[in-house]
Amino acid sequence: MTRLGQLAEEVRSGGRGRTYAIAAGLILLAVIYPEIVEALEDVPLIGDFVPGVDSMVVMIVFTMMAVGLNVVVGYAGLLDLGYVAFYAAGAYTAGWLASQQFEQVSFSFFSPTHNDEPGIHFSMWLVLIIAGVFTTIVGILIGLPTLRLRGDYLAIVTLGFGEIVPQFVRNGDSLGGFDLTNGTFGISPIDSLAFGSFVFRTQSNRAELFYWTAVALLLFTVFCCIRLRDSRLGRAWVAIREDETAAAAMGVPLMRTKTWSYAIGAFFGGVAGAFYASFKSGAFPADFYFNISVFLLCMVILGGMGSIAGVILGGMLLGYLNVEGLSTIGTKLQDGGLDFDPTKYQFGIYGIIVVVVMLFRPTGLIPERRHQIELAEGVHDTPFYDVQTEGAMTDRDRSND
Amino acid sequence: MNAGLPTENILELDDVHVFYGAIHALKGVSLTVREGEIVTLIGANGAGKSTTLRAINGLNHARRGSIRFQGNDITTATPHTIVKGGIAQSPEGRRLFPRMTVIENLEMGAFQRTDRENFQADMDRVFELFPRLYERRTQNAGTMSGGEQQMCAIGRALMARPKLLLLDEPSMGLAPIFVEKIFEIVREINAQGTPVLLVEQNALMALDAAHRGYVMETGRIALEGEAAELKTNEAVQKAYLGLE
Repeated sequence: MTRLGQLAEEVRSGGRGRTYAIAAGLILLAVIYPEIVEALEDVPLIGDFVPGVDSMVVMIVFTMMAVGLNVVVGYAGLLDLGYVAFYAAGAYTAGWLASQQFEQVSFSFFSPTHNDEPGIHFSMWLVLIIAGVFTTIVGILIGLPTLRLRGDYLAIVTLGFGEIVPQFVRNGDSLGGFDLTNGTFGISPIDSLAFGSFVFRTQSNRAELFYWTAVALLLFTVFCCIRLRDSRLGRAWVAIREDETAAAAMGVPLMRTKTWSYAIGAFFGGVAGAFYASFKSGAFPADFYFNISVFLLCMVILGGMGSIAGVILGGMLLGYLNVEGLSTIGTKLQDGGLDFDPTKYQFGIYGIIVVVVMLFRPTGLIPERRHQIELAEGVHDTPFYDVQTEGAMTDRDRSND
Repeated sequence: MNAGLPTENILELDDVHVFYGAIHALKGVSLTVREGEIVTLIGANGAGKSTTLRAINGLNHARRGSIRFQGNDITTATPHTIVKGGIAQSPEGRRLFPRMTVIENLEMGAFQRTDRENFQADMDRVFELFPRLYERRTQNAGTMSGGEQQMCAIGRALMARPKLLLLDEPSMGLAPIFVEKIFEIVREINAQGTPVLLVEQNALMALDAAHRGYVMETGRIALEGEAAELKTNEAVQKAYLGLE
């Protein structure tokens, strides 16, 4: 077998046991994190940089969205610059179905809220699912007209939809006199997750409860994405990413396959959005700017497009810097007498990080297998080796004939 | 006529017109492929050979005229239903998935198939036709030589168990030794029962391999006939075979 063959075999089968062991270790660590966080904070030097449980929830929510976006960008190779639209759709679904937004009615369904309180109050667990389904439908509706476009054109149109949605919710407080979104003020408060009358938000360990739920949601997302990657649909996505025309020639239904990637990516964005809305008890139009779309895209690119482990790493890393890392570093710098506040330059800093990674690790921190092989052995972009050598036999031919 | 060959038409193009925007690329192409045949479509660059194939496999729909496959109208069918119906192709420029392995590329060829039981046997058959591919099975397709890639592209098309195989310029850019090999394989595939529509610029090799041929010029069929007759046709010799 060739050297490349061995490499490919190794990458695929070898080290699988080790991968499982690492994954199990990380999951365990994630689950017990709230118990050990205080001990970690006492560790000298790094202690001040350990993210609190509250911050971890936000980091995980954004990572979950990045993993969802990875289905669209990493697997199917469709550049989506408007993913924030799905985040917003999920958050506002929570706002509509689990708050006092529609005070005209009074409805409660498996919710700790009493039936006589104003507004619609579904059980928040149910709302997570409804938000996922609703956002999936939004994804299909946005996808059907836009996915006929390729490459840059698709990116521009998704950018447009990413702008339409926040503008719509900002101005949706008087749709023919009907207040759908409460305008710039957003919808707040939104119900907490709860089991019966055990409401997460009123518990003393509320952060931990939300944290564990977030971990469970992320694990569910990762599990689904791994299964999808290895499925027939996943292979069709890769085929479209590699060569759309060839994929069509092999019988891959382009529109259907691309729309599925959009819909599935949207689903996870919607669930994450609804969960986050419940966690911070609100959905505000200012949260759904274009920069969130780019931020999520940076996570995917930084970690490694198509690589789930990479996207998780990229998501947690950028998420950490965003939530508290930069301000912690800023405090440290100011303690050291340097008057520099990195939070003011956050997008410049993310930009520099992405540029540096692109220069030194163009396939991301943890590259996907296909990209990894490409990096190790190279791919002929112009495969006309025979032409270049003017019809001469290649080394390979000599060794085989 | 080729005695002993069934004369049933498996593919019929009737007065097919294709436009790229305002450009009238095919101006009424009619051709047939019968069971068991190799039919070749030869002609200069830009004559409309590949466009004809793209009309057949649904990547460009005909604006006028009709295309019938096994009696069914597929003029406006989508590419995936056409593949499912039994027309597979090795596209121009091979168009492998460069970062998929040889095996994964072959698996993509079987994408529209629903029967799992014959899958392994078909893969074995491809490896029998192309032992070189077996050696390279875990290699990324993009890292292979042009000849190997062409083998992989044909093997990928065969994985669909086609009732009709479309080959677009299989000899393009290949070393002479590979060209010989590729045409040998095409004959073998045909001998095993698959009709082939072969688009080629290498007219001599194509006419040697084919039963019948069509000569295209600027979007029209200029000549048609038995391959052996076309080879001795003076105009064909002059224009495409380089013989005076």
